[in-house]
Parts: sequence; structure tokens; C-alpha cells
Amino acid sequence: MNWTATTCAALALVSAAGLAFSQEEETPKPIPRQALEPPPKELPRWMRDPRLGEIYPRRGRYNFDVYRIEPLARDLNAIAVGHSMVYEAIVTGGAERLETQTYAIVDRVLRHPPKLMPAERSISPTFGRKYAFLEKVFDWTHVLHAQTVDVLASPRMTHAEKDAEIEALWNFYFDSVPYAITPLPMNMEYLDAQSYSGAFRKRYPKVNGLFWGYHWLQGAMYDMLYGATPLEQRLQYEVVGEQYRTVELYRTDRDFMPMFADTSPQFARRFPKIANAFDNLHMLHDLVNDILADPTLGELERDRQIQRAVWMILASTHAHESPMERDPHNALHDHRHFEGLPGMGMMKMSTPELMYMQGFGWMNLTECAHCSVRLPEDWSEGVGATVSAQGWTMNVRCVLCARDMAAETPGRAILRIATEDPTQILILISDEEGHWSSVRKDPVFLEVEGSHADCSDWSRAFTSRAAFDAYLKANADNPDLKGAKPLTLEEWSEREGKKPDTYARPKGPVPNPYRIEEGEAR
Amino acid sequence: MKPNRTLRRSLIGLGLLSAALTAFFALRPTPAYAHEATCPRCKLDVVQDTDEIDNEVPLRYGRKRIEYRCIMCALAEAKTKYKNDLSILAPSSVKGKPVVLTRKDGQWSVAPETAVFVGVPGSHTECQIRFRAMTDRAAFDAYVAKHAEILKGAEPLTFEQLLEMAK
Repeated sequence: MNWTATTCAALALVSAAGLAFSQEEETPKPIPRQALEPPPKELPRWMRDPRLGEIYPRRGRYNFDVYRIEPLARDLNAIAVGHSMVYEAIVTGGAERLETQTYAIVDRVLRHPPKLMPAERSISPTFGRKYAFLEKVFDWTHVLHAQTVDVLASPRMTHAEKDAEIEALWNFYFDSVPYAITPLPMNMEYLDAQSYSGAFRKRYPKVNGLFWGYHWLQGAMYDMLYGATPLEQRLQYEVVGEQYRTVELYRTDRDFMPMFADTSPQFARRFPKIANAFDNLHMLHDLVNDILADPTLGELERDRQIQRAVWMILASTHAHESPMERDPHNALHDHRHFEGLPGMGMMKMSTPELMYMQGFGWMNLTECAHCSVRLPEDWSEGVGATVSAQGWTMNVRCVLCARDMAAETPGRAILRIATEDPTQILILISDEEGHWSSVRKDPVFLEVEGSHADCSDWSRAFTSRAAFDAYLKANADNPDLKGAKPLTLEEWSEREGKKPDTYARPKGPVPNPYRIEEGEAR
Repeated sequence: MKPNRTLRRSLIGLGLLSAALTAFFALRPTPAYAHEATCPRCKLDVVQDTDEIDNEVPLRYGRKRIEYRCIMCALAEAKTKYKNDLSILAPSSVKGKPVVLTRKDGQWSVAPETAVFVGVPGSHTECQIRFRAMTDRAAFDAYVAKHAEILKGAEPLTFEQLLEMAK
């Protein structure tokens, strides 16, 4: 008896110790605010070169095809004006008027976006001269932004041609100049823990809101364009553009800048290097903004810190480093990414599985946002979808989860759904009342509701009745699918699933890692 | 000796099972009903239904089914955000028996007609207690007595009075 009691006690202790250990191992601690560090003595030589060092963009029949979606092209043109006007105002003594006069002018441009893309240096000549090295990095990465969007908007290229050309554009960007931004995931918490971090958003919340609104659109547009026909792209931009112009530009309540993989998870999975480079570019904007807004820094120190900020995100600074590598003593070289999502670096207090998302709380990015079942690695087997609504985009496992998650969210929504054909994404757009429409002719749906553990088996979308029949034939041994009927879009839309039996809400180490200092409950 | 050995084996088995169960339940994430979200109106967490009482307030608008934290949040958005026909399933004090508020062609109706409403302004963290539909006056009295600390002196409201309060 004694032996038994001892064994039980020992086992209980082992299990308790195991739990304590796992908690200690996995509970991330916030990265403390960093002391001001000087830039390295040996900065790249091009950073001292006042010349613009411009390179002509890669030739291609797709160049300027973004103008086929004119409202998007114009909004992007206005973003370039908005960036430049603010930077010029800051370096010409107009910081005091940033939230009032400058904001009003920029807002007018955003509401009446220009037809053509301006040369940013014609709007911000002083800034361009003062920080030529920074302009080089900004301009060159903006060229990558513009050309990748042109490729995606091209009506003359196939899906495979677009994929190949985007790869080629990345190589052109990365190999042509020494001032490319690193494609490695960076620890965003560390980059946002500099001594000056947060100064801009605190002093100029409205203008910072505009910057983060721009960055939201510059991320969200990629999944909107990817795999969509020109008509689908235009129809989606009616929803995305309205969200951008009425909500995203004017939000001042964001915890953090919009991340690329949050807004375009599908594109980020396919092109993680580009996703990381754009996040690092947007973080460079934040670093520079914060340096310029920090009243404790003198002009000389500001210049030095901007040099250091550029250096921190350059590809050359992280040469010979790899994704998932981590220097435990220097978070600048922490290149871990989220599990299954190589296109996003670590966020505040996150683990490779768990991340805090504003409005949703802690989420496991490897799991369906609606039923918590593990997401597919890719969409090549006709499994997986994303739901975009109210400015967010979430990954889900099956089309039932996609439909029901959208139905539970106010406002218009967009579903992007994998089909049996990896080159054909089914795009559905809903109105305010949740009525779905598609430009694709006669998509067919399968739905034989059961446990969500197998939801991707019984809830799918197909491009045709023939594809539906072929799937049933290939899965004839699955008793759950016996007698399954093909559903039209209308029939499928009328359905409503039960609450998923598999859903589990993950718990993070704190309610909201971005509001720890405020002691906010959520 | 034999019975003792059997007893010891059983106890060891039980010990192992209990340790395994302890570890399993301690390590797994909190199970919850999908889709736990924040209220679109007040941004606080939507209090989930329990085995004893319903708390979620679903608003049906076309094919949308939006969950609100309390009937006031749902009514306020019904007045300002949704133009067309809609219905709200307002949880009552009885599990599985909501009061159904329907707006068709701009006209509201309430089912059952005997329904009255609790509406006591105060902290919105208690809104699902402060604002609730009751199937009839008797249910109202019992509910107010049960939550006497928060609802002290509460008078039953008609739907029109509640709708007027919702902003």
C-alpha cells in the first residue's frame, strides 16, 4: 500500500513538474526596451553615396497593368503622395502641423487620388537629399511592390507564368543592388522595442493611422489579386477599397502595424521572402517615423539612428543567416517564424504556434480560425480557404467554416476557396446580408456535415459537376459521403452548420501583450 | 497475499490513470464553443451560453447571424446599422426559450406577446444581466429577485420602452 501511495504521489509530482516545466519553457517574456545603440562603424559604402543609384525596373509586358484596376492604382498613387508629404513636412520644420494642416492635405489627396504615380522625390526633395541612403531602400522596394502587383493584375499571363515572373522579380530585386531588404523573418517585437519605438504613434496618432492604413492595403491587395480573374479583381476591390477608404485609413486603435501574412496569408505562404521583405520595409517606416518623432534625440543622433535602422533590416546585415535560425543573445538575428507560416517573423510575446491578434485574442496560426482543426500545408489538394471581412483575413479548413465564419461577421465578405484545380481559386463575394455571388459559372459544393475533425473530407468546393463526381468516385469507400448530392451556390448558401465540435480557444500568457503597461483586461 | 496483490495492481492502475488524466486536462486548451468573439457593438467578449442559461444574442439579417453581448447592443445596431428586415433571438431566463424580436417592413413584433424586459442601466460588464428578455411578468419577478443586488427596484419594461433606450 505504501508503495502504491508513493507511486501515485510520484506520478502526480512528475505530471505537475512536467506542466510547470512546459509552462516555464513556453511562456515568452516581453523583450525589454533597448538602450540606444550607435550604428556599426563599418556601414556599407553605398550608404555614404549621395547619388540616387536608380535602376530601371525589370522589363515586362505586365508593367503598369495595375491601371486595369484603376481605383486601386489611384489609391496606391495617393499613398506615395501621402508618404512623401509627411516626410517632407517633418524635415522642413512642419512637425507641429502634422496632425492638423498636413493631415488635412494628405487626407484630401487620399480622397481625390491622383491619376498617375508621382516621383516621391519631387514631393519630398529635402527628405530625399538628407536621407538619400534611406530613399534608395524605400524606392527600390517600392519598385518590387509595384511590379509584383502589375504581374498579378496582368490579364495576359497564366497563373503559372505569374508565379514564375514574381520569383524572377524577387531575384531581380535581391541581386541587382546592395540595398535590398532582408527576406528573412525578423523579430518584430525586438524591432519595436527600441528606445524611441512608439514615439510617432503617440505624438501623431492620426498620421500614424494613415501610414498603417497604407500598409494594410499594400498587404491586403496581394491575396485579392492572386489567382483571380480581372473581373474578380475589380469586384473584390469594390469591397477592399471601401474598407480601406472608410475604415483602415482612419483607425487609430491598432496595437501594431498590419502584417503582410495577416492580410494576405495565401500569397505569404507562396512567396514568404516577399512577405518578409515587405513587413521589414514597413517596419523600417515605423523605425524611421519613431526616430524622427522622438523629442529626446538631437538631429545628429536622429541621423545616426536612421542609419542604424536601415542597417538592421538590410539583407547584407543578415547574409548567411537562415529562416528559423536564432542568436539567443541578440534578437536582431532572431529569424524564427510561425509554424507553417515562413512569411512572418515573431510578434510580441508569441510562440511559433501562438500569436495575439487584435479583435480575436490569442490564435494558433496552424489551426482553422473557425473549428481549430489543423490547416492544410498548402491548397494543392483542394483543401483550405480564407475569409476576409472587416479588414481581417483568416485561414479556415473547409468551405463550411468559411461560409459560417463570414455569416457570423457583420458586413460584406470575400471567400477565397481552394478547388480540385490548384490553378483555380473560387472567389465568392457577399453583400451586407450574406448573399453570395461568383463570376465563375456553376461552382459545385459538397456538404455532408459531420465532425469537424474530418471537415475537409465532407465540405469542399469544385469547379464543375464532373470534378464533384470524380471526387465522390475516388472516395467511394468513405461511408460519410455515400449519397452526397451536389449543391449549387444558392443551395449551399442557404445552409448553416452547427457549432464546430472541435473548437478550442487557445490561451496566451497575458490577455493582451500590447496593453500590458496599461493593465488593460483584454 | 493474492487479494492484496490484486488490490495493489488496481491502485497502481488507478494512480497512473489519474495522473494521466490530470496531465491531459491541465495541458489541453480551454474547450469552448465556436465562435467566441467580441461583441460588434461594445467590443467586450460575448458571454457564451451555458447548460443553465443562454447569453449570446444572435441577430439574423438575411443570411448573417451576428452575435451580440446583450439585447441593448443588438437593438442599437438594429436601429443604426441594418436597414432591412431582421430578427433578434433575445435570451430569456429559460434555457432554449428566447424571446423573438422581429422587424419586418419597419414594424417590430415580439413573440411571445406576454414578454417583458429587464432594462437597468449600469456597468456594461453586467449587461447580459441588466438587459434581458423575459417570457412573462412572473419570470421577470423571479429573475429580479435572483439578481436583487444588480436589479434592485427594477420595473418591467415594454419592448417600446426598451427600444427607446437602445442607442
